[in-house]
Amino acid sequence: MITFDSHSTDPYYNLAFEEFIFTRVREEDVFLLWRSTPCMVVGSYQNICREVRPARLWRMGIPVLRRISGGGAVYHDLGNLNYSCMTRQEGGVDYDRSLAPVLEALNDIGVPARKNRTSDIAIGEEKISGSAQRSAGGRLLHHGTLLFDADLGALEEISVRGKNDCVQTKGTQSAICTVTNIRPHLAEDMTVEEFRRRLLERMVPDAGDRRELTAEQIREVCRLRDEKYRSWEWTWGRTPAFTYEKCGSFAGAPFRAAYSAKQGIVADAAVECPAVDGTLAARLLNGARLCPEGFAEICETLAGERGPELLELLM
Amino acid sequence: MEKKLAMPKLRPEMTSGVLCAWLKEEGDPVEAGEPLYEVETDKVVNQIEATESGVLKKQLWEEGDQVAPGAPVAILETE
Repeated sequence: MITFDSHSTDPYYNLAFEEFIFTRVREEDVFLLWRSTPCMVVGSYQNICREVRPARLWRMGIPVLRRISGGGAVYHDLGNLNYSCMTRQEGGVDYDRSLAPVLEALNDIGVPARKNRTSDIAIGEEKISGSAQRSAGGRLLHHGTLLFDADLGALEEISVRGKNDCVQTKGTQSAICTVTNIRPHLAEDMTVEEFRRRLLERMVPDAGDRRELTAEQIREVCRLRDEKYRSWEWTWGRTPAFTYEKCGSFAGAPFRAAYSAKQGIVADAAVECPAVDGTLAARLLNGARLCPEGFAEICETLAGERGPELLELLM
Repeated sequence: MEKKLAMPKLRPEMTSGVLCAWLKEEGDPVEAGEPLYEVETDKVVNQIEATESGVLKKQLWEEGDQVAPGAPVAILETE
């Protein structure tokens, strides 16, 4: 088992770093540990507009990223430690085989963790880790979150109360689980850095197996970060087709908005409200790219100072 | 000659998977071993490679469709 250190807490860089290693290291088993600043990460085939409230997250300054594995939306912050295991793909889908070494290492460190459901790790009945996989070209990527000292208030606000039931769509739905942090369950307290160091020592005991990317490889990771993970096409363009409908009130008047989106492009837009120019709204929205920045501009044109309020109703 | 490519069974209990992305368009040449589409089942995205070489004549499902193992997924025009 070998490891690499990303030396970064940038979520875009870290997803590119993980994919780069997954596609480039073909023979050896790899174990990575990495942390990212606050962000929301959705599964490869999820509808962002249903799983999170994009406008609200944008206002909070929390980016939404799309990863290459399946499964549901997860919240990351610096109190959450992510791990990635990369091995040769042998046989069919089997989470137990991937989870066993991580569970054993956690138990060694003094975390009273056990497997729960298909792909979760729990303390008691509360989830501390969710995982997902990608299988490609004979290699398997298994990765998961480890809630160590994460902001559970933010996590709950964003991922549990942040669902959008105005969206009708295909795509993978996220499960909602009761979660807890690892730290308060430890017999002996430690920081997240200490936790990371001890977990790495158990998973990759030999210092000779700790590798570094070359400068050229880091440049390639940065290219992947910019061309894929920071691109609208990957994050928003891959949102499964959906229809949106919201009724409410805006500027003290009844409000209804509806649109559809395919490959991230809006069509069939209708905004019915005495306080909004419906013809202009339809013209600006139809053909627009799905993303909070673009929608915010449209809302400002339509409603001036009340733009942010309108945005919340449209996305 | 037309060859139908079938959805593989990715684990013994698999009853269906979601075809979540086509990686080749109709009319594209495809080499055996090249990634053709992606299927999600149990939080795993599986990249499925073509088992034959040829031209992708027909995508039999749309992205988002549930497909049972063994069902034809694509028609390939082979030499």
